Amino acid sequence: MNTMINIILAIPISAVICLLLLASVDFFWKLPKAGGVSGAKVIGKEIEKKGGDINGGWMIGNIISSPDASAGTLLAACGYYIWGIPGAVISIILVYIGARICADKGYAGTSGCILATLVIWVLTTFAGFPPESFIAGCVIAIFFIEGISSKYASRILGKIWRRVS
Amino acid sequence: MEESIMIVEGICVVIAVYCALRAVFEKNTLLKFPFLNVMNFAVTGAIVLLLPYPITIGVAIAYFVGSTLESNAIASTISTLEAI
Repeated sequence: MNTMINIILAIPISAVICLLLLASVDFFWKLPKAGGVSGAKVIGKEIEKKGGDINGGWMIGNIISSPDASAGTLLAACGYYIWGIPGAVISIILVYIGARICADKGYAGTSGCILATLVIWVLTTFAGFPPESFIAGCVIAIFFIEGISSKYASRILGKIWRRVS
Repeated sequence: MEESIMIVEGICVVIAVYCALRAVFEKNTLLKFPFLNVMNFAVTGAIVLLLPYPITIGVAIAYFVGSTLESNAIASTISTLEAI
């Protein structure tokens, strides 16, 4: 194993990486464009009613109502932490089944899980990140999106979505 | 437990407790869900860090998918009720 980066330094970096990863995969699968499942629609409308943005609200609704890229990133990190690549492969299969259980027609969760596995594998093998830092990183990333203020987070997400789409 | 795992476990538990409290004090049912979802993420992380065995991957994913399924079920029930 290469030189390990200090965990205090690794957690903020992996939080930023997880945030960029899950947001870009969700944007790629056009989650803010429409509330996919009916639960996502109503959560998005409620966030808009409280002064948020409808596109950001739909994206938050999609994150809540089905295992999307954020769940894929977290579960890939968990699988990789426990059992390396085989664990991450188990995560990918189970996330695929889980998305079907939640009546999600998209592949944001599965593709996010695969991409996260690759990113985590590269960073732990070649950059010396401890695998557990990605669990903390993903929890912090999702905390920034939903845990502080869904109103302001949805506005930021909506603004970025309109710029990239 | 190793020190780095303790730090990560601490972050997960603090975020889980904070979001659980935010969810309790949020009046609007639909706006409780973002906080509950963050709590589920943090609890999933905590489960994995506490029980580092291969079977835990299945446990964590079952917990997580089950909780998103419940949120979706409650939210879509509310949306059908609003439509009536």
